[in-house]
Amino acid sequence: MGYVIVGNSAAAVGCITGIRKVDKETPITVISYEDFCYSKPMIGDILDGAPREHLTYRDKSFFEKNRVQQILGHRAISINPESKVVVLDSNEIVPYSKLLIATGARPFIPPIQGVEKEGVFTFTELSEAERFNSYLTEKGAQEVVVVGSGFIGLEVAYFLAKRGLKVSVVELLERSLARAVDERTSRIVESLLREVGVKFLFNESVSEILGEEKVSSVKLKSGKILKADGVVIAVGVRPNVELAQTAKVKVNKGIEVSTKMETSVNDIYAAGDCIECIDIVDNTKKSIPLFPLAFEQGFIAGLNMAGRGVDYLGGLVLNSLKFLPVPVLNAGLASPPDSSYEVLVNDKFEERGFYRKVVLKEGRLVGFVAVGEIDRVGILTNLIRQKIDVSSIKERLVELDFGLVDLPKWWREEKLKEDRTAYKDWRAVK
Amino acid sequence: MGKRKLMKVYPIEENCISCRYCEVACTMVHSASKDPVKAYKLEGLLPRATVEVKGAVSLSLMCRHCKHPFCFDSCISGAIQVGEDGKVYLDEERCVGCWNCVLVCPFGAAHPFISDNEKKRHSFKCDLCGDRGFPACVEACPNRALVYDFER
Repeated sequence: MGYVIVGNSAAAVGCITGIRKVDKETPITVISYEDFCYSKPMIGDILDGAPREHLTYRDKSFFEKNRVQQILGHRAISINPESKVVVLDSNEIVPYSKLLIATGARPFIPPIQGVEKEGVFTFTELSEAERFNSYLTEKGAQEVVVVGSGFIGLEVAYFLAKRGLKVSVVELLERSLARAVDERTSRIVESLLREVGVKFLFNESVSEILGEEKVSSVKLKSGKILKADGVVIAVGVRPNVELAQTAKVKVNKGIEVSTKMETSVNDIYAAGDCIECIDIVDNTKKSIPLFPLAFEQGFIAGLNMAGRGVDYLGGLVLNSLKFLPVPVLNAGLASPPDSSYEVLVNDKFEERGFYRKVVLKEGRLVGFVAVGEIDRVGILTNLIRQKIDVSSIKERLVELDFGLVDLPKWWREEKLKEDRTAYKDWRAVK
Repeated sequence: MGKRKLMKVYPIEENCISCRYCEVACTMVHSASKDPVKAYKLEGLLPRATVEVKGAVSLSLMCRHCKHPFCFDSCISGAIQVGEDGKVYLDEERCVGCWNCVLVCPFGAAHPFISDNEKKRHSFKCDLCGDRGFPACVEACPNRALVYDFER
């Protein structure tokens, strides 16, 4: 008996790391239907010509060193919490003493007529990304339609346009990245994508995917028809909760977990994109499917599975538009939802290539966007996390030379002199 | 798990005179030329220690090798690793420049680097001078505003 982890990405690796901080001995088994431990956020790189080895997140030596047995190429299909076993599609039965569900999320596919046609792909998994890439090459594809303008959609659009393909992005809303960033940032990002030839169609949606067996074009709501040798659907992801449900684990917008990352069922923990996570910025529970959060949640789950009692600090939105030559980072809220928030902006994008904006509520930072110049913005992220009163320094927050000297002296004493940098030390201040 | 025994660089703001010798020394020892001017002008290197100044207060800040490093959590390529000794390592060759570490470092100690031709992009941070044995910034500091000491 030992620890069992279903999933083999950020949350799983975080969990292994957490368990092994406490327990060096008890065996760990990882179950994944995929064939190796790769970095999900990096799959876009294959469109840029990267070999699959380049995507390796943790290699064989990591699993050997941590004494983890990997069962790859098999899907976990059910959990029996009474007999404490996981059943695989091969009928193999894997017993657990503590189980982590890290099943991630899968792309949401809207009910578009013709969506099942050959040539329509999603882009959240390496094998499908590779199939898409080979399909384009074999077909000598020239035109691609990307449905959705989130981080994945834009990355696919960017790399394909750079390869010389004609790419159109179809977006339901009036701008790109509308749920993640503010309008100014959307427009900057769009202009950078247009520079490589990406075309945007806003306030539009796909009403039908046309073609015999293979996609040949898409019909838009407006009636317009776009020629398409391939289509990528990238309109968001939904938590994978089916495995958890076989164990009668409580599921809301994702798997419900305690601050210890335990589910409603004894000895079953969950972490990563499959869970419902508390957002410390607005104190609501939601799905925040982001890599850094998944790792951290997995890590905390691992510590607790091994007997520690550590509370998760809670999550917040952390985005990086990593494929553009101009860096774009944001954390927390990028646009104030109502007039009770305060906004400060330092926009020198045209003259000096940077844009910075902060959003405050009741003297606390709740979000920021940084474009172009991003050095040291992590200090801002921590101000959101620790909910430090910044009312006396708010004008400084949007300056490029903002630094620790702007923070209260007690913070520097605590962090620099006393080295209070353990996990619990990053809790919100009282 | 016992308390880790790690030596790192501590800034003492009361002693800092914002001379930036630490920045120059850092850039120099991390350069190919080992020359402070060439390192900056020709190799385009940037210091891993940042001198901050606000009125009479100044300090030099570099990676704290946090007990819980958020940069490690957020690193999508596996370039950031935590050693047995507790040191946080950043492999610049493996780094893909996703900037997550820049986004989450509470000290602003992981910095982005994009070369002029955009061919090279990666994060960089204090490596405690690696094989050199003793941090160059501490050696260069004229007023004991940086000390190399065991972790508290």
